[in-house]
Amino acid sequence: MRNHRRSVQLLAAGLALAGLLGACGSDDGDDADDGGGSATTTADAGGDAPATGEGIVLAVNPWTGSAVNANVAKVVLESLGTPVELLDIDENATWVGLDDGSIDAVLEVWPSGHAADYETYIAGKKSVVDLGLLGPSAKIGWYVPTFVVDEHPELATWEGFQDPELAALFATAESGELGQFLMGDPTYVTFDEQIIANLDLPLKYVVAGSEAALLTEIDKAIADQTPLLLQFWQPHWKQLEADLTEVTLPEVTDECLASAAAGDGLYACDYSVDELYKAASAGLEAKNATAFAVLSKLQLTTEQQSEIAGFVDRDGMSPLDAATQWVNANPDVVAAWTS
Amino acid sequence: MAVATASTATATAPTFGAAASRRWTTPTLVFVALVAIAVAVDPDVPDWLDVGLQTWVRDRYMWTVQNSNTSWLFTGVFNPLSDAIAWCVESVQWVLRGLRYPGVLALTGAIGWMTGGVRAAVSGVLAVLGVAVLGVWDPAMVTLSIMLTAVAIALLIGVPLGIWTARSDRAERVVRTFLDTAQVMPAFVYLIPVTIFFGIRYPPAVVATVVYAVPPAVRLTSLGLRQVPTVMNEVGESFGCTSWQQLVKVQLPMARRTLLLGLNQVIMMAFAIVVIASLLGADDLGNLVLKGLQKNDVGAAFVPGLAIVLLAVALDRITTGERSASSRPPLVRLPSVAWRTGALIGLGTVVVATLVAKVTDHTALPGALTVDISGSINDAVGWVQDNIRKDVPIIGGTESINDVLVADVLEPLREFLVWLPWLLIVVTTAIVAYLSKGWRLAAGCALCLAAIGTMGDIPGGEGGRTQLWDLAMDTLSQVLVAIVVSVAIALPLGIWAGRADRVQRVLRPFLDTAQVMPQFVYLIPVLFLFGAGRGAGVVASVIYAVPPCIRLTSLGLREVPIAPREAAISFGATRRQELVKVQLPLAFRAIMLGINQTILMVLATVIIAALVGAGALGLVAYEGFAKPIQKIGQSAAAGLSIVGLAIVLDRITQAWGTGPDRSRRE
Repeated sequence: MRNHRRSVQLLAAGLALAGLLGACGSDDGDDADDGGGSATTTADAGGDAPATGEGIVLAVNPWTGSAVNANVAKVVLESLGTPVELLDIDENATWVGLDDGSIDAVLEVWPSGHAADYETYIAGKKSVVDLGLLGPSAKIGWYVPTFVVDEHPELATWEGFQDPELAALFATAESGELGQFLMGDPTYVTFDEQIIANLDLPLKYVVAGSEAALLTEIDKAIADQTPLLLQFWQPHWKQLEADLTEVTLPEVTDECLASAAAGDGLYACDYSVDELYKAASAGLEAKNATAFAVLSKLQLTTEQQSEIAGFVDRDGMSPLDAATQWVNANPDVVAAWTS
Repeated sequence: MAVATASTATATAPTFGAAASRRWTTPTLVFVALVAIAVAVDPDVPDWLDVGLQTWVRDRYMWTVQNSNTSWLFTGVFNPLSDAIAWCVESVQWVLRGLRYPGVLALTGAIGWMTGGVRAAVSGVLAVLGVAVLGVWDPAMVTLSIMLTAVAIALLIGVPLGIWTARSDRAERVVRTFLDTAQVMPAFVYLIPVTIFFGIRYPPAVVATVVYAVPPAVRLTSLGLRQVPTVMNEVGESFGCTSWQQLVKVQLPMARRTLLLGLNQVIMMAFAIVVIASLLGADDLGNLVLKGLQKNDVGAAFVPGLAIVLLAVALDRITTGERSASSRPPLVRLPSVAWRTGALIGLGTVVVATLVAKVTDHTALPGALTVDISGSINDAVGWVQDNIRKDVPIIGGTESINDVLVADVLEPLREFLVWLPWLLIVVTTAIVAYLSKGWRLAAGCALCLAAIGTMGDIPGGEGGRTQLWDLAMDTLSQVLVAIVVSVAIALPLGIWAGRADRVQRVLRPFLDTAQVMPQFVYLIPVLFLFGAGRGAGVVASVIYAVPPCIRLTSLGLREVPIAPREAAISFGATRRQELVKVQLPLAFRAIMLGINQTILMVLATVIIAALVGAGALGLVAYEGFAKPIQKIGQSAAAGLSIVGLAIVLDRITQAWGTGPDRSRRE
């Protein structure tokens, strides 16, 4: 028993020693960062760049646009001496991080999905501040694969779906006799159930539950040439690769917006356009005024963002390389943010 | 038999047979009356039953949100706690990084060698080498550091609780409810609140993992100690052992095999949740899985998924040793001389390996030695998707299986359950519980189900509002089907594995993979094969629920002492008779525990099923994560409803395992 214990002590001591030997001065920096935000610990690396400002943390949410904006900001801020850590994190957890200051900013928020967060953290608690619009706008809508519209041009607008026979083309085991309307990730705002009920369409609202499920259903529909009706959005990398057509819904009216705000269940029109915005932790301005100023001014046009996203989604570049390339090619745009 | 039972039974135990007919009348009358009431009243859950739980939870949540930066609860308690956890994870990471891959490999080998001999060392080292070859070393070390911290904390909490519950039936009853809740309550319900309490990155990941990994530690510690034959305890007592000596010198060593299975399950559970933890900002393997998923790239998600499996396997093999034939000598008790030499040699190797790595400046395996298998995985998955989806002779293909499953099984069952008056379901369940065990269980089950009725309603569905009860019936229909399918697959395999070492060995890596491979990795193929919907949900649950049942069935058969089997054989029993008349009855309790775990696993994957289109309670629970401020209340209500269903199903099947007789400790 005693031998046993001593061996364990010996082992523990030895391990600590081995760890020390290996760890001392082993900060070879290079964490093989792909810029997609595998949490580059620039802050730990110590002595890589002339760090003049306090390092900041930018959230990267799981879509290309978010990675693009954050990497552009990283390239620009690091050239100004502020180390930037990119942190891959879910968009809802992002707000908790902004609130307690462990995340300094997020550069692409889709307002439709985060109205309650805006209300709570920005307008109410004031622990998060609105950094203004990012520039690009986004839109949620109803989509079908284009071959569906080619075969049945009526289905390009919502009226086409009033015909039970046409709607039944979209029937699945889950929807039975009715046509299936597929909704994806519940994080996104959804009025689809109300739209279907209020426009009296012979459709059944089915929740696929995740973006992955939507993408897989799109792949399958295109591979089999079977009809599919789903909630999808622009910009999305899948739009480059899959030929989808947006179904025209009734135009957005004031009544419609009022009903959305009141939550009375009477929503019966298209989704309104999402003007993407930026948000920062309330402590950022005091922590690093340069970063705060640059991030406030940072704006991309829809074209610019899609151009960089294209480098990533189409050409397979890492978001960091894509951002670096774009920043180097557009010094005048960047200069407007840093002046 | 019936007569004997009737003469000794207490009034609470129901009995069957002529002698007990008088005792039959009262319960029968009560139940007839209850059924009559249940059918007579409103078949739907009345609105006044809503106890306002949703509002209550949401109010608490909003308080937390408003005060998270100011209240002493956070600045004084949770923030320091969170810092401590982060420090642990970062320290482990620092050591692992310092050791570099040769050091980690050597360390794996050394520990494996000391606990399980050459075989454990080799399998451990191979598994870790596999991680390096996959080219994901750095994120793998982050995952490992989170897991080691979480497993250690889970054991620190779980083993003492297990010892306590083994010694007190009452403690076990109370603790069990919490364990079931921890295991079944979907992590998505509390993930955002945990993030508010513990911040982002590692600490909430560790906390979520611990919640999930503690239950098997408690359960199997308790099971192991309870399985120690009374004779052995008496021997200990007669030699004058104190209670502590009894525990340390008799019970724990006797229960070693079950305790090791417990450790195995703790590790497997911990790794199974690693992806969910990465949603909160950990730069680990789970993050890579999510990135693959984001691009719908199965191969890219599979590689880190496989690395997670390999890490879990390595950790399992070197900590539990290579358990196999019962003839093997005790694992950790090598002669002390060998121990010390072993420790020295192991230590020497680790130091040398680390130094060599440092001098030659190797942090991760050189790129030339890594292999990217994502392309071939995509090809393989593509082939499967193209070839078993449709036009398969006889069975038709996964799509037609899905259509039959949804249209002819799940939907009719759901409609039937929703159509049934809700009180009738409560009463019927109570009757079943009474017949299985007694009044106490009947009351408990009725309360659990009725509680689902008090959860209120949520927006959506026909008429604008849907009672959580109806969603619970939807979930129940899916869960029942998944359980039946899982048990039908797992029992035969488990019996086979329990009787043939070779089968056990072949199955083991598959079981490890099915249990640890992040479900997110196989969701895409499952979706492609079955389409978004309840069919895909059932399949995803089955894949996850089968392994523990196989393991426990097999373990149960192997734990049957050799003596009764030899006796049976000497009396001329055939192999079949030996199985049916000796092994199965003696392994009954372990098998029932296996079925139990299957039920809990199926309920634990309700939320994963929702991510592939199963809807119902899982979806509502998930929405608490997706839109916490608006939906945390209904998410908690859905989570609790899932727990309610789990407890009812668990307790009733558990009662079938132990029978109406309450004397569970021989």
